[in-house]
Amino acid sequence: MKQTVTRRNFIKGSTAVGTGLILGAPSILSAAAKQAASDEIRVGFIGCGKQHEVLFNAMKNIPGLRYTAVCDIMKDRVGGAASRMKSTFKLDYIPTRYIDAEDMLTKEKDLDAVVVATPDFWHAPHTIMALEAGCHVYCEKMMSNTIDGAREMVRASERTGKLCQIGHQRRSNPRYLYALKELIQRHKICGQIVNANGQWNRAVASSRDIGGDLMNDPKKRRILPRDSVLKKYGFKDLHQFFNWRFYRDLSGGPISDLGAHQIDIFNWFFGSQPKSVMASGGRNYFKEREHFDNVMCIFEYDTPEGGARAFYQVLTTTSSGGGYFESFMGTEGTIEISERAAFTNLFRENSAPSWDPLVARGFIKKGAGTAPAAADSSAIAAYESAPPDKFMLPGDLNKPPHQPHLENFFASVRGEAKLNCDARHAFESEAPIYWVNPSALANQTITFTEEHLSV
Amino acid sequence: MKTDAAASKPNSDLGATLGFLLLRLWLVVRAVVTGIEKFAGSTTSDVAVNIDGAVNTYGLTASEGAKVYGLSHYHGVPAALYDKLKDEPFIPEAMLKAYDVVLGPALLILGITLLLGIATRISLFLMGLLYISLTVGMILLGQDSGIAWLGIHVLMVAAALFNVHHNRFEILNKF
Repeated sequence: MKQTVTRRNFIKGSTAVGTGLILGAPSILSAAAKQAASDEIRVGFIGCGKQHEVLFNAMKNIPGLRYTAVCDIMKDRVGGAASRMKSTFKLDYIPTRYIDAEDMLTKEKDLDAVVVATPDFWHAPHTIMALEAGCHVYCEKMMSNTIDGAREMVRASERTGKLCQIGHQRRSNPRYLYALKELIQRHKICGQIVNANGQWNRAVASSRDIGGDLMNDPKKRRILPRDSVLKKYGFKDLHQFFNWRFYRDLSGGPISDLGAHQIDIFNWFFGSQPKSVMASGGRNYFKEREHFDNVMCIFEYDTPEGGARAFYQVLTTTSSGGGYFESFMGTEGTIEISERAAFTNLFRENSAPSWDPLVARGFIKKGAGTAPAAADSSAIAAYESAPPDKFMLPGDLNKPPHQPHLENFFASVRGEAKLNCDARHAFESEAPIYWVNPSALANQTITFTEEHLSV
Repeated sequence: MKTDAAASKPNSDLGATLGFLLLRLWLVVRAVVTGIEKFAGSTTSDVAVNIDGAVNTYGLTASEGAKVYGLSHYHGVPAALYDKLKDEPFIPEAMLKAYDVVLGPALLILGITLLLGIATRISLFLMGLLYISLTVGMILLGQDSGIAWLGIHVLMVAAALFNVHHNRFEILNKF
């Protein structure tokens, strides 16, 4: 008999916390039964909002997919998504439209894979439903709004034997893979990395409440879900429906929405989980919101080379300060990397061995100039180090940033690849993030135990 | 045997003839090549990056640009200048559009007629007017160096007209 998972019984059942941290290879990395390469993968979508559009646009160039079904509690979005698929691929059919995910998974018996792009508090229920319906799942990050939800996703994936890729798309980005495997691990251009530094500074204009144009227009309001539908799916009202990221019961806030991508890179590049977090946060501008709009945190790591510290800040009030990037600072060099090539730079410490041989062989490119130095020989300049030389990665990504991660997922479904970010690895990387807000709220350092970080 | 009188006749002066020819050719090259460049554009393609003598396995790519010519790339007035001139009250947009269409072909036609020696005087005169029309735009945009630069072009056209009687190579010398 098929087990039905609703959000309510999911939450009730997810309180047991497993133990046993596994940092090694995950148990399930590629589909057990290899499909014929010519077979189309039948894909369903749960959630047809903005992130769905991002993923769909990244999937458009991936061959061998059959867009079978779409689901969202807002009818207008479902219709729009189905029409977009029909027109984009000139389909001779229209994907079947659903309002309820459980209904879709019950009726669509031949789905191979499901893409989940719903609000964070629905990620775990939808992912587990889909896994238990026999589908492989690509789920957007953050895995869940709660660490227990994330744990349940790992267990469900391993219990069902189905693939579950989490949308930390940088893990499949050639630039990130190259920086880690070639420059840090093989050529060790950074020397000993002692510090990581990351930030996402988002302008206040991009952080305001959304949905007002629809909610306040009587004509447009008709296309929005009714109160009974909103309540059924866990939203108190339309404001929550559009702005679920602002509410503690529905999301992890900016440290989760934005920071999860980058703190994941800290853990991935260091190859370990942090041993503690110390955080500070506040509602310095958006005072009415439940989540902090300004969060800073420091993670402490034990790495094979020695200790390291990582500082991360997320602001939803200003875009200045260099945008968004992750920087790995070592005794011989620094890799400052971002999804945006413009924010990516390599710096060689003046005292480090020459990188000219690497340039000559094409591993890196010489950049324009050096890092800024003091303009004159004033007293302050006398204390400065010589400015590091600037270099660049040898190439870029010529696809939408999510495409390689989705390609990796569908190749894994076909049995041709291994997942780059399966649920277990994603959990190990995300687990420390769940403790940032508690640390900031309690204004104290949290020293991690196995219980904090394990499934 | 050459007489003194014959040697002093300007239109029999080989140096003056060659000098005019050089001036004419410079003006031809200036007009024709500039006209051709109005049809120039670029295409970019992404190619896999070679690292250590082999194509990288990560999927890193680099954009490679190539210069190409074609009608689809035509741009009479460069886009940056066009946008600025569009805001000038003295230049109606319809006139600017027409000028944009005409400029490239006009440079090519005048350059070719001057090269072949077809109505050399009229060709030079029209070329001078064309450079003056460009000067108007430069004045409106306050581009002093451009004004001086075009002024030199007009002086060279005028010098060619003054010395056109030294022209020896032409198809149609009626005008």
